Amino acid sequence: MREVGVVAFAQSDCLAANRGDDMADILAPVIAEAVASLGIERSDIDFFCSGSHDFHEGRTFAYIESLDSVGAWPPISESHVEMDAAWAVNEAWSWLQLGEGDVALVYGIGRGSLATDPDQVSHTLLDPYYLAPLHPHRHAIAGLQAQALLAAGVTTEAALAQVVARSLAAALGNPHAQRSGSHAVHDLLAQPYVASPLRAHDAAPLGDAAAVLVLAAGDRARELAARAGRRPAWIRAMDHRMATHYPGSRDLTRLETVEVAAQRATRMAGFAPADVDVAELHTEYSHAEPMLVQALGLPVGTTLNPSGGPLAGNPTTATGLIRLGEAADRIADGSARRALAHATSGPALQHNMVSLLEGEE
Amino acid sequence: MSSVRPSTATDLPAPVRTISAPFHVDYTYVAGVGRSVYLRGMAERRFLARRCPGCGQVYFPAPQHCARCLQVLDPPFEIPGTGAVSTFCIVNLPFPGQLVEPPYVVAYINLDGTGNKLQHRVLEVAPGDVAVGMQVEPVWTDDDRLEPSLASVRYFRPADPALRDGGHDA
Amino acid sequence: MSRHERIAVVGVGQSQQAKQRQTSIAGLVRESVDAALADAGLGFGDIDAVVLSKTPDLFDGVMQPELYLADAMGAVNLPVTRVFTGGSVGGHAAIYAAHLVQAGLAERVLVVAYSKESEGDFTWALSRPLPFHVSLGAGAGGHFSPVIREYIHRSGAPEHIGWQVAVNHRLNATRNPLAHVQMPDITVEKVRDSPMLWDPVRFLESCPTSDGSAAVVVTGEDEADRISAGTGRPPAWVHGMAWRTETGHFAGRDEVNPQAGADAAADAYAQAGITRPADELDLAELYIPFSWYEPIWLENIGIAGIGHGWRMVDDGRTAFDGDLPVNPSGGVLSGNPTGATGLVRFAEAAQQVRGLAGGHQVDGARRAVGHAMGGASQFHAIWVVGAERP
Repeated sequence: MREVGVVAFAQSDCLAANRGDDMADILAPVIAEAVASLGIERSDIDFFCSGSHDFHEGRTFAYIESLDSVGAWPPISESHVEMDAAWAVNEAWSWLQLGEGDVALVYGIGRGSLATDPDQVSHTLLDPYYLAPLHPHRHAIAGLQAQALLAAGVTTEAALAQVVARSLAAALGNPHAQRSGSHAVHDLLAQPYVASPLRAHDAAPLGDAAAVLVLAAGDRARELAARAGRRPAWIRAMDHRMATHYPGSRDLTRLETVEVAAQRATRMAGFAPADVDVAELHTEYSHAEPMLVQALGLPVGTTLNPSGGPLAGNPTTATGLIRLGEAADRIADGSARRALAHATSGPALQHNMVSLLEGEE
Repeated sequence: MSSVRPSTATDLPAPVRTISAPFHVDYTYVAGVGRSVYLRGMAERRFLARRCPGCGQVYFPAPQHCARCLQVLDPPFEIPGTGAVSTFCIVNLPFPGQLVEPPYVVAYINLDGTGNKLQHRVLEVAPGDVAVGMQVEPVWTDDDRLEPSLASVRYFRPADPALRDGGHDA
Repeated sequence: MSRHERIAVVGVGQSQQAKQRQTSIAGLVRESVDAALADAGLGFGDIDAVVLSKTPDLFDGVMQPELYLADAMGAVNLPVTRVFTGGSVGGHAAIYAAHLVQAGLAERVLVVAYSKESEGDFTWALSRPLPFHVSLGAGAGGHFSPVIREYIHRSGAPEHIGWQVAVNHRLNATRNPLAHVQMPDITVEKVRDSPMLWDPVRFLESCPTSDGSAAVVVTGEDEADRISAGTGRPPAWVHGMAWRTETGHFAGRDEVNPQAGADAAADAYAQAGITRPADELDLAELYIPFSWYEPIWLENIGIAGIGHGWRMVDDGRTAFDGDLPVNPSGGVLSGNPTGATGLVRFAEAAQQVRGLAGGHQVDGARRAVGHAMGGASQFHAIWVVGAERP
């Protein structure tokens, strides 16, 4: 594999609702910040890739508007996934393997605030014949999964509250976080259920944000990272796997796709999730954390979501990309030598991506 | 409907060919800083354009950033709103939600002093008399119907009164 | 393409195109997937990545359909990516699949594409009344027909060119049983006398909307040789491929001859070693939703000189028996499952050079171009495929 690393990461503040800026304007300063940190021009970027989804913007071809922030003139080599932008990172990383260029810019823009009632959107993610007409509440399938985990003895309500308390406390150190604070576990446990055993704080709060990652290959990565005063975070492996759609056909307590992706990533990287110092996990619900820890085999002592994670801010299709950026930043700032980033998509963690990153010796 | 059925299933109900599964979503649209400038102008019968300090191009409607240079556009200034038909089509197809009965002209209009094209209707003229290069001017709604929207301009019409047919006015 | 592993298409499947298919979305997708795998002599267990192409999700109301379709695509425990770049998406998906092989990340990639517009309201999704846009009531043709008028204005092409293209494509479709629109008795007069929808575009010069799906299996060289030896069917070798995007609405943009389309074609030809496309290509499958886009794209992708594309039509060169047939399958004018339309162009080009195009096989087709475009002619994808190993 060609050596490809993250050399810049920038993100906007995650706001519960950004009512001042349109898609292009949320994104433009974030792209500018990432590019400026490297001292390069737009023309130095060989490939662009992005992730967003029309259903969050409420309009057809929403992503075209974001291209105005890229400045696709003269014409550029470009692609887009109608998914979380973590998958755009995967595509850009694949593209850089071809050796046709050395620098790729990936952006994700997510807007959770535009749909007035997220419940009107969430069921459209399901099988349109069997599941969507049931119109389950947006937390219902997560609640089923959390309940199954409790019944299987994988976790407890108190443990979930601890995940929330730790995440929101960590987010106090993250200036971009939408939500943060010091919470006592017993106070959290006193809150009402929204989808038993889940409480409101167990769900990641939808918000608006953009994030930009610049990837570069080989010595070009070393050169650019040095200009930005950071170390490249080499992406040693990425793998993603899809599970069957129907929650009723899956063992909801087990993330087989994460296990498969982790095994394959381990072979590719030469080190395992158990070897990382930091893991940024795409936990749209608190109960995802113990599941992922188990499926990835993360030992006690692995630092989990030091940014606060999605429980501190969930800008829809940018959330998985931000996990990669935060993991890369921990390597860049020297607090981790190896890091893991996870991204997920679909109900009850149907589709999962595992990335393993490493700093230079 | 002459489908073959297993003999043991004669009591099955008729096959379901389609199901109806409507959904409804309410969205809050955010205008954004750049778009807000032009929308506010529309509510006051003003065409507010902006120039890119990088390439010198003038935009109406103006975004916040030039999509070529990525620079923030300069402060707004007023343009007359007159222009020339760059190209056009005649819509003959009736479909739900139309505000004007076909046939009518939808044109790309180069507003004087700008470099991008504005799409709008051209009325008060027989569709067959519209030509590329024709000078046009905006026709505003009544004061009580002005709003922060391009809908405040009801349509464009030939600038030369002699070319107007006095007919179709939406 | 010498720097990378050679890429080949070893399996192609397409569904019947129709106004409304009485099957579920999953059933429609599965038809093409099964056909492509059968063509390649492969089973689900042989596929190691899936790329999905489709139109905007508001068209049929299913958000992120790769999730629901995981089982129909045989994608459980595989990596699945759903690309989206407007109408060019099918081309982008095929190129991304090739990249996955060239990057060493997969050996056999399944590309899946579909549209089931009959399950939603596509005109509604395209013309949603947004508060910042005045509702002009123009529809899809209202976007493209002013561009067509500008092309006619610039080139001085006579009006019968559009009618002739419509006749050519519709007659080609009579050779393709999967094509949606079948009009064996079409004539220039019938096109000319059909209702004017968006002047200068007439009803019979416009594409339909169709339900339909397509699937393609892409592999590297060793796999292609092994599969081909087993099935007895030759691969289509990819000689060059490229994609380009340009911003849709900056001041001064030329939508008649978009730079991104010209750049993508030039890149693909350079990889394929093509210097005289009109002479070196045997046919073209182009994304032509309205008849006038045939001369527009012939010029844009360098097959005809600027202002001369219409002469190729007028001289009969792009008809089925011409020296460079365009859309022998019947093209977009004869069937438009929009999310799959781009991939169908790529797949049809491949079938021609494999010699497997059936009733619409162009005699002696050795090299062909597949082309897709999207948005306001902002997104362009193109590949050159050939019978010979590059």
